[in-house]
Amino acid sequence: MTTTTTDNQKAQAVKAPVQVTFTLNGQQISVPKGTSVMEAATKNKVDIPHFCWHPGLSVAGVCRFCLVKVEGARKLEIACNLEARDGMIVSSVDAEVKEAHKWALEFHLVNHPLDCPICDQAGECGLQDFYMSVGKYDSWMNRPKALKPKALDIGGDLVLDTERCILCSRCVRFEEEVTKTDALGIFDRGDRAIIGTYPGKKIDHNYTTNLVDICPVGAFTSKEFRFKKRVWFLQDRPSICPGCSTGCAVDVYGKPQERHYYRIKPRESEVNGHWMCDFGRHQYVPLNAELRLPKASLQVNQQQKYVLLEDALTELKTMLGQVQPSEVALLVSAQYTNEEYAKFFDYFVTQHKIKHVFQWREPTETIEAFDGLLMRGDHNANTQGLLSAMKQVGISAKPTNEFDKALDSKFKLVIALAPELPDTFPSLAGQLAKLSEAPAYTCVFSLMVSLARIPGFDCLIPMRGWAEKLGSFTNFEGKIRQLEASFPPAVLDALGVDEAVELLAGSRHFQPREHTVH
Amino acid sequence: MTSTASSQKIILAHEGMANSRALSTYKANGGYTALAKALKMQPTQIIDEVKASGLRGRGGAGFPTGLKWSFVPRDITGPKYLLCNNDESEPGTFKDRHICTVSPHMIIEGIIIGAFTVNANKGYIYTRYEFQEEIGYLEVAIKEAYEAGLLGKNILGSGFDFDLDSYVGAGAYICGEETGMISSLEGKKGQPKLKPPFPAVSGYLGRPTVVNNTETLANIPWIINNGAAAFKKFGTEKSPGTKLFSISGPIKRPGVYEVPLGTKFMDFLNHQCGGMLEGKTFKACIPGGASAAVLTAEEMQNVTLDFECLAENGSMLGSGAIMVIDDSQSMTDILKVTMDFFSHESCGQCTPCREGTGWLANILEGIKERHATPKDVDRIYDIAKNMSGKTICALSDAAAGPAMSFIKKYGDEIKHNLGAEHS
Repeated sequence: MTTTTTDNQKAQAVKAPVQVTFTLNGQQISVPKGTSVMEAATKNKVDIPHFCWHPGLSVAGVCRFCLVKVEGARKLEIACNLEARDGMIVSSVDAEVKEAHKWALEFHLVNHPLDCPICDQAGECGLQDFYMSVGKYDSWMNRPKALKPKALDIGGDLVLDTERCILCSRCVRFEEEVTKTDALGIFDRGDRAIIGTYPGKKIDHNYTTNLVDICPVGAFTSKEFRFKKRVWFLQDRPSICPGCSTGCAVDVYGKPQERHYYRIKPRESEVNGHWMCDFGRHQYVPLNAELRLPKASLQVNQQQKYVLLEDALTELKTMLGQVQPSEVALLVSAQYTNEEYAKFFDYFVTQHKIKHVFQWREPTETIEAFDGLLMRGDHNANTQGLLSAMKQVGISAKPTNEFDKALDSKFKLVIALAPELPDTFPSLAGQLAKLSEAPAYTCVFSLMVSLARIPGFDCLIPMRGWAEKLGSFTNFEGKIRQLEASFPPAVLDALGVDEAVELLAGSRHFQPREHTVH
Repeated sequence: MTSTASSQKIILAHEGMANSRALSTYKANGGYTALAKALKMQPTQIIDEVKASGLRGRGGAGFPTGLKWSFVPRDITGPKYLLCNNDESEPGTFKDRHICTVSPHMIIEGIIIGAFTVNANKGYIYTRYEFQEEIGYLEVAIKEAYEAGLLGKNILGSGFDFDLDSYVGAGAYICGEETGMISSLEGKKGQPKLKPPFPAVSGYLGRPTVVNNTETLANIPWIINNGAAAFKKFGTEKSPGTKLFSISGPIKRPGVYEVPLGTKFMDFLNHQCGGMLEGKTFKACIPGGASAAVLTAEEMQNVTLDFECLAENGSMLGSGAIMVIDDSQSMTDILKVTMDFFSHESCGQCTPCREGTGWLANILEGIKERHATPKDVDRIYDIAKNMSGKTICALSDAAAGPAMSFIKKYGDEIKHNLGAEHS
């Protein structure tokens, strides 16, 4: 019994974390006292099959899949609720354990509809994965299966299929522990049990798609992603969510051959734990080819005309040579990478002596807002990075919207780094209209094809989107967030700001561009 | 029961007395003298006495009561609770309701002594919804006890405070499992909790909690009054005391009986219970409630009614619910209603139990519909075997145990009748 674990002892354990050493599948593992065998196994890359355990949630111990054998114990124990103790000898591969895992899987499949051919989870489903790793048997279930409600709209981005559900209760715990919205419960008992919302409640918050992620089967699917693409056709790249200044680590899923992105999922990191918000998840949409500025554009006879990148950059360079530095305004949004800002300011401020640098921000933003979980009111990924890049070239500033200053009639040339995510800039359309009407020659670096439909701009340079860049953002608390891998741009001519600057500076030369398909 | 047998009675000592439930009757027959005595003892003395008596839990698991009480930490402050498990729901069991009917004050006295021992100031009697009459008896008794200063503040001038309430469940079998009961009492869905932590450390509302069965607690006053040695004169070495048995089936006198543990089953059946009904032949017996393995009539010949003998025979004493089966009954039907019960009552939390109990019931449905092969019968055994020992609580084992025993002992009969009509 556990009468020995008094509050006193727990307090002491906090003061001086004691290491315990135990054996797992013959391997000696040292972990801090209080660590479960499951946590220890996960840290040491030992896979113990499980459904209900999730590192970001409390232990439920209900799927009974993570059974392990402890030498000297009367029966198999579940690794998720088993504290690692000194000298303990544990096996997750013993013949008895393997047989138990097989049966545990079969119990999960007894009433599962096995509708993989029409299920979005297929390809990333726990039932499928574990069938391959610990199953591979012919089912003994030859009776009619339990029938339950399907395709339920229970709010948010979610569609629920209670037949596919294996009742692991991860979603219920997420609602209780993470969003604290408590909308979900398990109703009825035995094999009639179903997940559902409490009477009068819907799932209504900004974190709903996390339920799709943590659902180990296809019970929760995403309205947005549903039936769009088989997951095995997708490639994923580790990046950073650009939706706000938190800088959640994410994986972006796209299909480069189609120049299309399909979804964003959170990637575990110290900043965001295991989660991300629905707002952030949506930020792949502006990257898709159909919304992208496909080529550079110049104004010819008060009309936008797509031109070669070389021609647009040459015209910009010519303009730059024709005006005084004091007649140039740089209008910069906070949605570019640190590396892009460094090159941009070095070229225009340090080398070209342009001193008028203005921040382009959403006038209605409430920068200090925070939802208590992840999303911040500063919907720019790199406010801190922009401010520190400006400081590097001697401009001290606080986050302020200085958009109107760039419209001053004293400027003959405005070079703007436009925001790339329209969701984050409710006032963007109005600002763009104003900017296009400015008397100055306006050159806008942008992602969006919508700019090409505004006649007043003089020069448009197509930009890479955030998932198509390497580099870093600096988040709200000054943490450097690396965009670790990138997709080839969805439009061939797209440039990073750094590339554009190098081309202007002549340190990079135009080459026949090949669209690399990975 | 005859008056000569009353010398053997601890729990049902007042059975047959006029107004046996009344506080005045209870007191006139020595009631609450044990409480007065206990309140003057040290809690550790009481634990030692109960340990020495060898009293084992009467709810089914047979865990030593004194040991259970000793697990409650003594050195921590804050509320502790004692809960009386009166959720009697094991099919075949109807003994606790009988205690409520005969001597509700005996239960209450046991509860107060237990609470004093573990220093709990609040307790609940958790009774299943269906026992409406018995709930009434308990509530009247609680009211009487409050009025007599036996509950509430400063009980009998001892300085010990204890409040007791009656709580009515919703009729779920799983709420008889102690942590399921705690969940239910907390206002949550009646589902067992993951252990560790155990209730003695973190139970009701996360506080140290003792859960004892009604019959267990009813034994306490007698033990305090008469001592462990006197208690051990009843029963066997490992199963001391008397036990209530609720016996049903095609026998002459079904009902609740208090007999010393270790009594020979056939003597009990043939003497107290009057034997089988005319024309009925004893075929098999489920000796400890629906979750106990079935024993054949042959196996029952030398069985004594105690924890150890029934365990040796591959079954269990359980809650003392003896169900006698005669040779006109279909083993398929009995197994099916049993599995239907467990499938209906599984809380659905742990996968092997949720899916396994349903699967077993489903296969038996197929057998009843005559859509089954002998392989399906064998499958019942394999499924049950792999449900055992894998879940948070014992409900999965409670279903698996009888299923395996039925297939082992009556599998051939079930297979033989696969094509036959079932009523």
